Amino acid sequence: MIGSRARKILGDLSERRGAFLMAVLAMSVGVFQISSMLYTYSILSGTLGTMFERTRPASAILVTDGDSDALIDSVRAVPGVADAEARPVIVGRVRVGRDEWVPGMFYVVRDFNKLRLDTFEPHQGAWPPGEQEVLLEQTALQVAKARSGDAINIRTVGGEDQALKVSGTVHDEGLPPSWMDHIVPGFVSWNSALRRSAGGESKQIRIRVADSPLDEGSIREVADRVKAMLERQGHHVSWINVPPPGKHPHADQMAAFLYLLGVFGLMSFVLSTALVAGMVQGLLAEQVRQVGIMKAIGGSTRQVATLYLAQVSILAAGALAVGLPAGMFAGRIFARSFAAILNGHITNTEFPMWLLVLEIVAGIAVPLLVSLGPVLQASGVTVHQALNGDPGPRADGGRRLDRAIARIDWLPRPLMLSLRTTFLRRGRLALTVGMLAVGGAMFISALNISDAWKRSVDDDFALRHFQLVVSVPHPTDIATLDRVIRAVPAVTGAEYWPEAKGFLVGSSGGSGDVVGIVGPDPGSKLLQLPMLSGLWIRSGDSTGVVINQGLFARDTTLRVGRQVRLRIRGQVVTWRINGIASEMTPMPIVYAPPDLVARAAGLQPGTARSARVVTGKTDEASQLQASEALEQAFAREHVELSSIQRISDNRKAILDHLVIILSVLTLAALIMLFVGAIGLTSTLSLNVVRRTREIGILGAIGATPATISRHVWAEGVLIGLLSWGLATLLSAPASYIMERVTGQIFFKTPVRFYMGTGPALIWLGLVVVLASASSLYPAWRASRLTVRKALSYE
Amino acid sequence: MITLTGVTKTYPSPAGAFSALRGIDLHISAGEFAAIVGKSGSGKSTLLNMVAGIDRPSAGTVRVGERPIEALSQGQLAKWRGQSVGIVFQFFQLLPTLTVAENVMLPMDFLGAIPGRERHRRALLLLERVGVADQAGKLPSALSGGQQQRVAIARALANDPPVILADEPTGNLDSATSADIFKLFAELAADGKTLVIVTHEREAVSGATRTVTLADGCVIR
Repeated sequence: MIGSRARKILGDLSERRGAFLMAVLAMSVGVFQISSMLYTYSILSGTLGTMFERTRPASAILVTDGDSDALIDSVRAVPGVADAEARPVIVGRVRVGRDEWVPGMFYVVRDFNKLRLDTFEPHQGAWPPGEQEVLLEQTALQVAKARSGDAINIRTVGGEDQALKVSGTVHDEGLPPSWMDHIVPGFVSWNSALRRSAGGESKQIRIRVADSPLDEGSIREVADRVKAMLERQGHHVSWINVPPPGKHPHADQMAAFLYLLGVFGLMSFVLSTALVAGMVQGLLAEQVRQVGIMKAIGGSTRQVATLYLAQVSILAAGALAVGLPAGMFAGRIFARSFAAILNGHITNTEFPMWLLVLEIVAGIAVPLLVSLGPVLQASGVTVHQALNGDPGPRADGGRRLDRAIARIDWLPRPLMLSLRTTFLRRGRLALTVGMLAVGGAMFISALNISDAWKRSVDDDFALRHFQLVVSVPHPTDIATLDRVIRAVPAVTGAEYWPEAKGFLVGSSGGSGDVVGIVGPDPGSKLLQLPMLSGLWIRSGDSTGVVINQGLFARDTTLRVGRQVRLRIRGQVVTWRINGIASEMTPMPIVYAPPDLVARAAGLQPGTARSARVVTGKTDEASQLQASEALEQAFAREHVELSSIQRISDNRKAILDHLVIILSVLTLAALIMLFVGAIGLTSTLSLNVVRRTREIGILGAIGATPATISRHVWAEGVLIGLLSWGLATLLSAPASYIMERVTGQIFFKTPVRFYMGTGPALIWLGLVVVLASASSLYPAWRASRLTVRKALSYE
Repeated sequence: MITLTGVTKTYPSPAGAFSALRGIDLHISAGEFAAIVGKSGSGKSTLLNMVAGIDRPSAGTVRVGERPIEALSQGQLAKWRGQSVGIVFQFFQLLPTLTVAENVMLPMDFLGAIPGRERHRRALLLLERVGVADQAGKLPSALSGGQQQRVAIARALANDPPVILADEPTGNLDSATSADIFKLFAELAADGKTLVIVTHEREAVSGATRTVTLADGCVIR
């Protein structure tokens, strides 16, 4: 036998099934939001590191001139080396059209069945590949425009074109997706035909250190020991590369992604709290008369409050039961999808204990806490207040807003009624508008960030007034290059800038990150980067250089007037920094006077290895046509090419790196739409319930069901429009902060602030549609109320 | 004017079907001031709801003027009410967010029969007629109960309907105010309106041209 109070709780739930179900649904959306976002966060925050570690990544890569098994055995014997493997690399190009090529990177594997470092797994097809075969990374098929079983044509510098059959695909979690970097990674066997036809290969030995695998200093110490041993054996080590220890190539993307996910998760929490508070307030509004009755028959404020808090607990438990499994399901799907974007796969989807605790807190304790105020307020009304109904706005119209609204008397009366009714319950209105506004601000910000990033990349590329970069494998007479290039009618100009590759030398003398070194003509109009500080390189100043902010971010001690030390071709050079340029690339680059770069790169005067080519037409199709024409021209003149990079492809590659960021922004925007719709529907539904008697009066004095529906719709749209105004205001600081932070994480520079009218207008359109859609059910319900039922409603 | 023929209204209830009205036959002529009286639960309000088109009979027909109103849809009923019937409730039922004048203008807006320019003037005229013109710009909550009921009567007259229906219009007022309200109803009847009032008040009965007594859903007198 249950007590009368429990029966009252259950009776209310049963009596107002629709309203309570709507409340559970709205609250469960909050639980869903938080659980899906935080679960995604919890899975992914550790995933990139785990999946990278699964590949047993090499701690260092030494480029040398030998790769025999005996040599690798002696490397393994060096103290501090845990393991070593030879993995020569052949750089080439893969034909994807008649005269269209994409860069290819082919790793020669000693034994596919005994991979030791930088491991990968068979994905599909034959494993290992035969002599005339190649295995492509699973994401490379699309870029290579090939399918398993097709033959692909590979051209290497100084070698012969080689056709290899794609025997299948592999999954290499240590590599970024091919479509993102626009490079075709492939794996060939030790006796591959490609090794015989290629003009050369980079003999690379990968080592993994035994101790302190995440300490760059100790890795370099071990690598130097290996280098010394190789040199003792008569080998030459041309390069030691120490990738950032334990860091996946796309860790920065993931960091930006997780930051956004965290921000949106937090905002979801705030939103769901507001949603619950609004919902409880709405439900209690219906119960005022019953509160009066209970108090009239002896119930205390505490007893009444306890009763309603128990009701909230039941609703919260229901919401948790619905929202949590749905959130877990969605979180798993989101995490898998996002990991797939970075070429990874999820193995551990364990739901962490901290998240479960948080969910219970968010799902039960938070609703109770936010309900406490409205419950105490509702329970505190006097019997007289409760039984004499709603007194309506204050009789003296004392509040400034009331007076302002009362002055709007030029609207059609039904619309005026909607307006005034909307403003009648200001607390509830503020909650609904606030919730929708936060959702709207996130939606607008998501689009703003996306636009800001695209615009920043576009702005950056607009500063580069060349369309193609032609590279040749060996220093070549500039006169020869110029003759071949200018023979192509589409070409209107070309400049030949010396280039080199170096390593940043730290204070300890160790070599760090790879740095690109470029020597543009000081007077050139082809590259005009904005300066963050200092000056661009000048004619007559043969020692001052400019670093980009990608390099500055790696070493913030590098300032104008100080010096940057680089190791180029084994020699350490020290250059004075004249300026720091803003550039939308995470790659560290030094721009130096051409003579300085040429000397450091060992280029003879009058020779170059690359050309910046200007074409008459700059669109993507024209760039492709021009690059094909250049391919033909170089072939005709028997001048070997390394690559032709199209600027449009480079731009696309950078934008493709933003895919994961844009995905989370889109996801957040969609969730906001969903939450907004649920929140508004529940608000309007509860308003209809609360105003049932008023609807009855309207019907009694001649309002048709259509008029009443329009009334509810107008209220919904009005709330939507109010929230839109607030959302637009809120989106400015939100966009600013998120654009700065994500830009800093990904590009090492804040993205230039952008806030367009487009996203706000899109949200305006959506909010009207959303409000209209959200008002459909409440409006229909209101129109179905008969006057008798409405008038007898209590 | 108002004709009920064999009107029965049965409501389902957990204890079995409950008949609020049992085969009512009633005719109220144009210009009559009819007072419906009876004990609580006798079916007075249900009868009024039938005439107002607020509720539908389980059996029988209700004709107001020439129209059998039970055949009308909800939308048609709303329009018909706006045009033909003015309703006054016990608890006034004014919309709290609209001013007194706006409350009176609202039925005119719904029906649209009176040109927009004239609505405010007409509302003031009606308010003057019921004696609360000086309260036109105030919100209902600023008015006393009697004043609110006068506004409700003005609202009922907004579209100049031939029939005024009132359900316990003085049930929430003191006796002095009630007398004023009944005086107002008597004036309306004298102006040719057909009035049907559900009431307990003796003054109403004394002012009415006819008294209809209900008991257990049947007309007994």
